[in-house]
Amino acid sequence: MASDQTPKFSVSDFIAALNQSLEYSFGTVEIEGEVASFKVNQGKWVFFDIKDATGSVNCFMSLFQLRVPVEDGMKVVVRAVPKVTAWGKFSLTIQSIRPSGEGSLKKSFELLKAKLDKEGLFSPERKRSLPEIPEHIAVISSTSAAGYADFVKILNDRWGGLKVDVAHVQVQGDGAPEQIIRAISYFNSQEIIPEVLVIIRGGGSADDLAAFNDEPLVRAIAASRIPTLVGVGHEVDVSLADMVADVRAATPSNAAQIVVPDRSELIKMLGHLVRRVLVRTEGAVDDNLRETTAKLRQGLAMFDTRVDLLQSQLVTSRQVMGAYNPRAVLSRGYAIVRGKVVSGGVIRIEQQERIITAEVKDVEAI
Amino acid sequence: MSKQSEQKTVSEKMDELSALVAWFEGDEFELEQALETYGKAEKLAAEIEQDLTSLKNEITVLKEKFDA
Repeated sequence: MASDQTPKFSVSDFIAALNQSLEYSFGTVEIEGEVASFKVNQGKWVFFDIKDATGSVNCFMSLFQLRVPVEDGMKVVVRAVPKVTAWGKFSLTIQSIRPSGEGSLKKSFELLKAKLDKEGLFSPERKRSLPEIPEHIAVISSTSAAGYADFVKILNDRWGGLKVDVAHVQVQGDGAPEQIIRAISYFNSQEIIPEVLVIIRGGGSADDLAAFNDEPLVRAIAASRIPTLVGVGHEVDVSLADMVADVRAATPSNAAQIVVPDRSELIKMLGHLVRRVLVRTEGAVDDNLRETTAKLRQGLAMFDTRVDLLQSQLVTSRQVMGAYNPRAVLSRGYAIVRGKVVSGGVIRIEQQERIITAEVKDVEAI
Repeated sequence: MSKQSEQKTVSEKMDELSALVAWFEGDEFELEQALETYGKAEKLAAEIEQDLTSLKNEITVLKEKFDA
């Protein structure tokens, strides 16, 4: 028989008391287990069980909280509040869920990759190019991370005069994707937007880098109106954030190498340009000189030809004139006869060296 | 009004230099103008080099918080 101290509740009060005790005892918990009976109802609500070899607990969450693909058999860690429903059913109200262990991370990665690929998010046609020499860039990273320090060092070594706005965010853990999304949204909503959005994080375990496979984050990068450059992890690490970015950098240092040119290379190129222009000018002067010399020579040659021709014409004229000279005929023994050539007439016979006056005795036709 | 040379960014100066080089390599090239244009290109290249060696990046960590 129950004593007077035995507590008495209405059903609703008892459930409320149970939930109060659960909240007091546990608050929020993280539980690792395997997903079973996963289903989505009405496109809004997600139900599944989380189990291990000997136990199983019902789980409930809204679909928008599900940031990574989940399916039966996948090992996950859920962050949840234990609760007894109004119908007396015990369940975990899930706040977040993330794949656990290499196999599940890989599985989740492949599922989301296939889904986004089908939507064309990784398509090469979507990729925009980055400006060759940007003047204003935005960086999203943890300013305390080694990857960020590497990025800044390489950036300063390579280039100067750049305006860099940095959003300090968490780059691993549950809160990381949302913080990065807010930073992306912040830069995209500025009146004067940066020319490039650089998202960087140094190396880490697959679990550390899992934030960069978060579906809403990947979609936020894809939707950015600022061209994106993502450098996460080491060279061998590939995240969906990398794949959706306009340009992928292998590491944060590589991101700095991609986003700005190397000033020493540019200075070398400047020297080369000036030399090229000089060579062109010298070449033009040489061409001009050659052309002028050739024209002078051509003119001189034409003058010579003309003189030769005139000389030749002069010689010919002289020869003709010589042939017509009566003195030349006289020199060959001929004589010029002047006067009336009739019998008894007086004539003057002109020879080369003398003139003879004579009387005509007879004229006879030949 | 056009920007004074010292107000121009490195990128704008580079574009200007490229245009000068293009003039030298294009059909509009005239020997009479080449000397003056070469002088401009040489001066511009020297300015860019000076900018590149002296300019520092201006890095600002935003005060905005993104954790909530």
